[in-house]
Amino acid sequence: MSGSWKRRLTDGMKGAAGILMGCLVLFPLFYGLAGAFKTPSEFLSYPPRVLPSSLLFTDNFVRVFTQVPMLRYFLNSLITALFTSCVRLCVAVLAAYAFAFFHFRGEKVLFFLLIGTMMLPADTLLVTNYQTVSRLGLTDTYTGICIVSLVGASQMFMLRQRFMSSPVSVREAARMDGCGDMRFILSVLLPMSIPVLTTLFVQSFVAQWNAYLWPLMVTNRDSMRTVQVGITMLTTPEGTNYGTILAGAAVAMIPSVLLFVLLRRSMTRSAL
Amino acid sequence: MQRISRSPGEGSILKPYLFLLPMLALSGVFVYWPFARNIVQSFSKVSFRGQITGFAGLGNYRYLFSRREFGIAIGNTLRLMLINVPVTLLLTLSLALLSWKKTRLTPLYETMLALPMTVSMASITLIFRVLLNPSAGFINYILGLDIGWYTDRHTAMYGILLLTVWMGIGFNYVLLLSALRGVPSDLIGSARLEGAGFFTILFRIQLPLISPVLLYAGCTNMVQAMMTSGPILILTQGGPSRSTTTLIYLMYSMGYGSGDYGVAAAVSMVAFGMTLLFTLCLFILEGKRVHYQ
Repeated sequence: MSGSWKRRLTDGMKGAAGILMGCLVLFPLFYGLAGAFKTPSEFLSYPPRVLPSSLLFTDNFVRVFTQVPMLRYFLNSLITALFTSCVRLCVAVLAAYAFAFFHFRGEKVLFFLLIGTMMLPADTLLVTNYQTVSRLGLTDTYTGICIVSLVGASQMFMLRQRFMSSPVSVREAARMDGCGDMRFILSVLLPMSIPVLTTLFVQSFVAQWNAYLWPLMVTNRDSMRTVQVGITMLTTPEGTNYGTILAGAAVAMIPSVLLFVLLRRSMTRSAL
Repeated sequence: MQRISRSPGEGSILKPYLFLLPMLALSGVFVYWPFARNIVQSFSKVSFRGQITGFAGLGNYRYLFSRREFGIAIGNTLRLMLINVPVTLLLTLSLALLSWKKTRLTPLYETMLALPMTVSMASITLIFRVLLNPSAGFINYILGLDIGWYTDRHTAMYGILLLTVWMGIGFNYVLLLSALRGVPSDLIGSARLEGAGFFTILFRIQLPLISPVLLYAGCTNMVQAMMTSGPILILTQGGPSRSTTTLIYLMYSMGYGSGDYGVAAAVSMVAFGMTLLFTLCLFILEGKRVHYQ
């Protein structure tokens, strides 16, 4: 009896510590969100406070959308994130299908060639890729923003594992029916793999939505910037418009945070 | 009668290659080609338009090694990595140990602790810029500090470290949490019945069993830390007085910034070589200690 009471106490203490740590970790986000409602003079007052005096002060948000074409940035981010996630997934599905259902010469070599792309960090290739993309005339285009992120080796690997675990009976039945490759993929394989597909899609959507360095490099025209690049352009030379900067940061993270809260299970599964 | 060639997994000998073609082509053009070109460029004279104009031998490397900022960049990158990796792992491991046993509250703080993985680098960097502002920021005030953070060359790197550790919390926490939950609970239960305490269970059962995941987390964090550049680009431009210049930032500013593609390729090769070396070291060092079930 006292044992279970003691355990309940330690569980409670652990819970309290967990919530406390969670609040500490989330404090910067809370601070940023609250700061987005502060007036410039509130940032100058001492002592600095976390909470704004009023949530009705929305100048900062208005400025985020008027000082730069933020809606256009949103559209650009949305288009590139959707396009990248879709194409990357399709490319990975096709490759995974080949590895899961065919035996062919050079299978192992090609598999390790594709998996090997994970050993070459994209950051070390940025400048050389920029040279390629600008020679192809793809700077300031959606294709240029997306094209370097279309290889998803880990996605291909996860899909191959999923495909290989599909029951033999399903494959046999499809074979008896004379089901073609594309029809088999579209009407049997993909519907069976929806949880993995969702995970991979959301994961790459968020990754592309949050991308910064590459979109910065390949875009020069203001109308082609993405949200992440755009919010860093809100800083003025004096750099004292803290409220506007924070409003920009808040606006840019809303879509991915919302996706995360709604689809936490699929998103955290992607860490495996 | 059905044509056999229309069945999944059978047919023309070329078919699997056709399915592989898009991915092979993309990884060829945007991974292996730039990598090969990087190697070639690092030994070549390259014009500011990116054309290779001649053989330079070790010229680019010699030039690089003679520059003071290169040594500084290596030092900064190593310092960042050597602090970031252990701090992130210890922190997220403690957080995961706090919450691996499911109770009614765990879903709540699991979400809270995993949330950083979805926040973009640009957003959180801008927030830290204000949060760590010496006068208007909140951190100096609440902790009673008088630190210049990103404006002082002695502290700028620690400001970057706070930021990169924060950015790593979500992913590592989720990874280690699911690893800990994968440890068979009857193992822990019977150890506890025999009187094993928290640390015995941690060091004899949990850590050995999750060591493959720890190795994986260590590797990914190491690579990420070696590649740190985004926050530096937004916050400090490598300053003040080069105190936050990292290798990839140097590569970016020399190649994309100044059009010095040959030297930029050499920096990139150094960064790649060091990262590869550390990955191999981690695998060799851990080789004896990592247990695969």
